[in-house]
Amino acid sequence: MNKLYKIAAAVALMAGGGLAALAAPPAPAGEPKTFAVLDKDGRRLADYTIPSDTLIDKEPNAEQIRYGQRLLNETRRLLPNNTGASLNCSSCHVQQGKKPLGAPYINSVNSFPQFNPRAGREVTLADRINGCFQRSMNGKPLDKASPEMAAMLAYMKWLAQDVPHGAQVQIKNAWPIDTKLVPDSARGKTLYAAQCAACHGANGEGKRDGAGNIVFPPLWGDESFNIGAGLARTYKAAAFIRNSMPMGVNTHGNWGEGAVLSDQDAVDVAEYFTHMPRPDFPPKEKDWPDGKKPKDARY
Amino acid sequence: MKHFGIKAVALVALLGIGGGIGGAHLLTASRKTDTTASVDPQDRRLAEAGAYIARTADCVACHSVPGDKPFAGGLAMQTPVGTIYSSNITPDKASGIGAYSYADFKNAVQYGIRKDGAALYPAMPYPSYAIMPDRDIQALYAYFMADVAPVAKPSADSTIPWPLNMRWPMAWWQLLFAGKRDFAAPAGADEQVKRGAYLVEGPGHCGACHTPRGLAYQEKALSMADGDAFLSGAVIDGWRAKSLRGEARGLASWSAADIALFLKTGRTDRVAVFGAMADVVEHSTRYFTDDDLASIAAYLKQLPPVPGKAPVFPAKADNTTASLLAGRYDSRGAVIYMEHCVICHRADGQGMARIFPALAGNSAIFAQNPQSIIQITLEGGKMPANDHDAMAFAMPRFNHLSDQDITDVINFIRTAWTNQAPPIASDEVAHIRGFLASKKPNIVSGGKHE
Repeated sequence: MNKLYKIAAAVALMAGGGLAALAAPPAPAGEPKTFAVLDKDGRRLADYTIPSDTLIDKEPNAEQIRYGQRLLNETRRLLPNNTGASLNCSSCHVQQGKKPLGAPYINSVNSFPQFNPRAGREVTLADRINGCFQRSMNGKPLDKASPEMAAMLAYMKWLAQDVPHGAQVQIKNAWPIDTKLVPDSARGKTLYAAQCAACHGANGEGKRDGAGNIVFPPLWGDESFNIGAGLARTYKAAAFIRNSMPMGVNTHGNWGEGAVLSDQDAVDVAEYFTHMPRPDFPPKEKDWPDGKKPKDARY
Repeated sequence: MKHFGIKAVALVALLGIGGGIGGAHLLTASRKTDTTASVDPQDRRLAEAGAYIARTADCVACHSVPGDKPFAGGLAMQTPVGTIYSSNITPDKASGIGAYSYADFKNAVQYGIRKDGAALYPAMPYPSYAIMPDRDIQALYAYFMADVAPVAKPSADSTIPWPLNMRWPMAWWQLLFAGKRDFAAPAGADEQVKRGAYLVEGPGHCGACHTPRGLAYQEKALSMADGDAFLSGAVIDGWRAKSLRGEARGLASWSAADIALFLKTGRTDRVAVFGAMADVVEHSTRYFTDDDLASIAAYLKQLPPVPGKAPVFPAKADNTTASLLAGRYDSRGAVIYMEHCVICHRADGQGMARIFPALAGNSAIFAQNPQSIIQITLEGGKMPANDHDAMAFAMPRFNHLSDQDITDVINFIRTAWTNQAPPIASDEVAHIRGFLASKKPNIVSGGKHE
């Protein structure tokens, strides 16, 4: 009898397998991964596809690329002397800098050197990274000749794949938030409690994992970014929040992120948390030497 | 001679079928209750008691389509022989159960007999509901008649092909597998364990998913006294319903408090509910009283392992956490984990309490059968809302990764940290992908498929 069950089960399984084979599933789309590339004169080059990390090992400098990726993902743990904030580069440059609209690194190596209005001069990518260390990370710059800086640049170079210098992958860096929206901080506070506090804490203190590493960064207080950071500005923060937060709330999106807050919601939440107490940025007087300070600048 | 032989065979066959059908009618007639008890649906206390009993029996999860009206039916249930749609059990006279007397209702709920005499498929867990006392069935009846809004939405036929769709053989099935019976408390059980056993075996119908089914789709055991297969784990609708027994791959790693909290909120510090069980928590167990949840937990925690199953895993050191933190990704699966999973589930595999479930030591991960972990990876999942946490979190679907990618990352997770589970093959991922693509949609009001 047992044998009969097994035979019948096998037949049923084979039939099931046959049916499954007939109904070939459609190729799931997921997030778009391939984008057009234009050179500096607007000519179309070969398309760009966001590379999978499994391809890193094919590179001759795989170890350096991987190290750079780890430094960007685990900045606070691996570079404690350069970081005052409990943040990682990838806290804001989400999905390892691979997400369009999520402050990606995809075009970084090919966009620098570039004129920076805040600095009032042309800056290199290494300068720009060091700007982040002093502002968003509330820490100290890296030695530009250090293996750490070289590794971060190597990761960004790998991420750009074979897109030539000066050409641009046709993606946007940030959600085009409407800067005419008027922020309502009180409404932002309510939204923060409902949509943010579960992870970032009722007092913006953030959360760490069992190994002591930062998971949800502190959004204000001594361990957060300082007022010189781009994210301290209402509309910059809103653009980030609108598209990348909250995460882990949808069954779509690489991190289940977004599709919760409207532009107005994002502006309100951003106004609320960016204006909570946070570290100062002493050299702030040197910013925007040519004037043209944006309206949401903090000083 | 040859002619005569064929005629004789045909005659015997006809007699056999005739006897089968006739016998089925006799069986159904003798199985039916002829109770003349009258139930007053206007009895508020009775109807309110019935509302809670309906929660314990989770009628709403199967008899509703998400987003459509409650109890109006249309939920597609994929069985090995075809898709069955749940029926409309609102008190609508034409398409629901509005014309049911109490006896009709009791016959359907406990004996699997529709008002027109047709036998119900055992997708309806009447073999479990059979042990519920009359007073509870009366309360349920009062609740449905008085407090459920009638909805005009005709019940849909199943897609089960002829001859399997004939209902009369179900009467014989019922004779074999769903006899009339009363609840028998486990020997030596205290009041709490007794209550837990009743809820699990009866209204909770946990065995409908967690007990393996035989070739005739019957649950192999309806209680521990009925057989050792009870709650030993099964596969249903592409999900592995885990073993609830006191074994390493069962509930050994769960405390009674974990079980109660999980049923109440859909989460513990370590795990999050997903798949079909998410519906159970959302519609049923989150409404249970704390006493009932504690009873279920107490009952489940005293279940022995299935003979031959390891009660605990052998000790294993976690070498994974240190390796990942040091940037040593020793397999392709580890690289994929670090790209797609680590941001939530973390290098130590511990996740974030009540936000992102742990993968290390999570009994959904190291189940022998990998269907659940494959399906959740392909499809993602959403935690049900609860009264305990401000937010309900979700896992995104990763069906954009290749079968090989998913195979590699699952094999990494199943053996990382202290986890111990056999490897999976990529054709198992392809199989679940195919199963998901061929699933029949639910039917929403207006007769349309979703």
